[in-house]
Amino acid sequence: MEIFPALLSVITDPTLLFAIVLAAAVGMIVGATPGLTASAAIAMLLPITFYMSPLFALAFLYVIGKSGRYGGSVAAILFNTPGTAASAATQIDGYPLARAGKAGKAMKVATISSVIGDFMGDVMLVIGVGFIAAIALKLGPPETFAIYFAAFVVIGSVIGKSVTKGLISALLGILVAMVGLDPISSEERYTFGSFELSNGIGLVPLMIGVFVLGEVFAQLEERKMAKGEVRENESDPAGHSLTYEEYKPCIPHAVRGGFIGAGIGVLPGLGSAIAAFISYGEGKRRAKNAEQWGKGALEGVAAPEAANNAVSGPSMAPLLTLGIPGSTIGAILLGVFLIHGIQVGPTLFFTDKELVYQLFACGMLGILAYGIIGYFGATQVARLILKVPVNVLYPLIFMTAFVAAYSARGSMFDVTVMTFAGFVGWLMRKFDFNVAAFVISFVLAKGAEETFRQALLMSDGGALIFIERPIAAGFLLLGLVAIGLRIRSIMKERRIAEGGLGDA
Amino acid sequence: MRDMVEGIVLALLSLIAIWGAWQVPAASPGDTWAGIVPFAASVALLVLSGLVLLSGLRATQTGPDIAQERDTGTLDILILFAVALIYQQSFRWFGYVLPTAIVAPVVLYIFGVRNWIGLAVSMIACPLIFHIIFFELLGVFPPYGEVFDLLDWFRG
Repeated sequence: MEIFPALLSVITDPTLLFAIVLAAAVGMIVGATPGLTASAAIAMLLPITFYMSPLFALAFLYVIGKSGRYGGSVAAILFNTPGTAASAATQIDGYPLARAGKAGKAMKVATISSVIGDFMGDVMLVIGVGFIAAIALKLGPPETFAIYFAAFVVIGSVIGKSVTKGLISALLGILVAMVGLDPISSEERYTFGSFELSNGIGLVPLMIGVFVLGEVFAQLEERKMAKGEVRENESDPAGHSLTYEEYKPCIPHAVRGGFIGAGIGVLPGLGSAIAAFISYGEGKRRAKNAEQWGKGALEGVAAPEAANNAVSGPSMAPLLTLGIPGSTIGAILLGVFLIHGIQVGPTLFFTDKELVYQLFACGMLGILAYGIIGYFGATQVARLILKVPVNVLYPLIFMTAFVAAYSARGSMFDVTVMTFAGFVGWLMRKFDFNVAAFVISFVLAKGAEETFRQALLMSDGGALIFIERPIAAGFLLLGLVAIGLRIRSIMKERRIAEGGLGDA
Repeated sequence: MRDMVEGIVLALLSLIAIWGAWQVPAASPGDTWAGIVPFAASVALLVLSGLVLLSGLRATQTGPDIAQERDTGTLDILILFAVALIYQQSFRWFGYVLPTAIVAPVVLYIFGVRNWIGLAVSMIACPLIFHIIFFELLGVFPPYGEVFDLLDWFRG
């Protein structure tokens, strides 16, 4: 019920409403621009939020994240290039529709389905988050550490193509987080005598480096590799409008996608892309016109779009209740909470309950905002994006990264960290390491270490405490099972691929 | 071959990390060792880098890589990284105005902009826009150039 007064307070604040609409537009443009991601935009804008109130900052970035997920569908449908990884499933049917002159119709289906999915996810978040927080309050350090462990393992092993490289990325994130003074004993770790390193590596420069500068490096490389021409899509005036009769068959797919996305969103690390593909596969399996899927079925746009947006709300649940971000956007939002001195975790619902529900309210209004902008303006946004000269855009982003990294704390050391993080981020992308696992683990590491050492103190140094307590043991087991299942699925994929090659 | 190089680099990194963790002084009585998590993480990294190395060795035994590595603009990335390093260092020496005015056309050129008027405009527009947004509107205190600062000179 707390959501209603929160909605009222947000609606009556014109400045906040303006910020939500602005964030919806920015997120959509960023998401729709191939190569630009919502994570990069949020990381770049993070230092600016130092100068905003906590709600304003969080709402602005949260809505950019939501709208950016949706914006990816515009690029997937029109340019055959998913603006975000989550939109890759939308591309399968979206682009054939655009080629057949039905781009407007496809984008309207994507918009309505995104709004349905995202709204379903947010409603489930509002209903379930208090319940999860109440359970989280009862957990002790061993259980919390076991949850951290499961998150590390799931994030490291599930995202990306290689389990080994995913886990290596997570370990590298943990090791980078260990640089500086130990928060418990104040002993120096990995400082090599440097005073600047004793303060540790800052979250903001690391994120700007990995997501923004690293992306600029990757884009430069991609531009050197790019070849071929993009064919113009057909134009059919009737293909831009959408009737209720046309959308009616999409409704069950959108609702199912909403449930799939919301379910996956609660689990840290799985993310929108997996939800979108599961929803697409499940939709195709149940569809009456399965043979049409992949060739330009409107239902094939509705199913993944609803799922990938439904992830957004529930992915906030582990972040707010346990301090475990389920996605890169969640990790950045955690940074905003920390910057403003707000402790994330189950106690957040006692200390800043009003803020949390106002943030949810902003998210819901953000859905409405990007829904309206997208329904009536997606084509115009696409035209605008086509006019942006990419060779000017990325140099500007390159230079903004430096000033943004400096602005966070006025520290030149942060700029140096950002520069190296950018290069490391590019190297990780180039060699198929997992940047998301690296950053999320960096964010989680300190909390995990604290709970681990508290648990050891509780048991006088005995590690059996993690096995003797059933919830802790359950989560440790969950992590191990996640690795096992992932390895099995990779081996199965390899066998199928080898079989396919053998047949060829 | 690529796996082997990755494995060796990661193994070296993990050995440095183990050595670094080992330098952390022992815990006082009743406390936990501050090096326990870095040490455990670096040992785990060593094990995983061993796995990467092993898979690289297996790949070399089964035959050479079919796919040849293509030149994918790595040289351009290295040039851009060098520019980035010089740019961040020159902030310390010359503040942000002069380095930004010089770096803006260089980066635009690297990204393929060949319009000389555009490049010339960027020399003035970029520092000006950043100055207005970050240092005037947001009130961030600009970095001071230790050797020479154009902003100081402008302000007299």
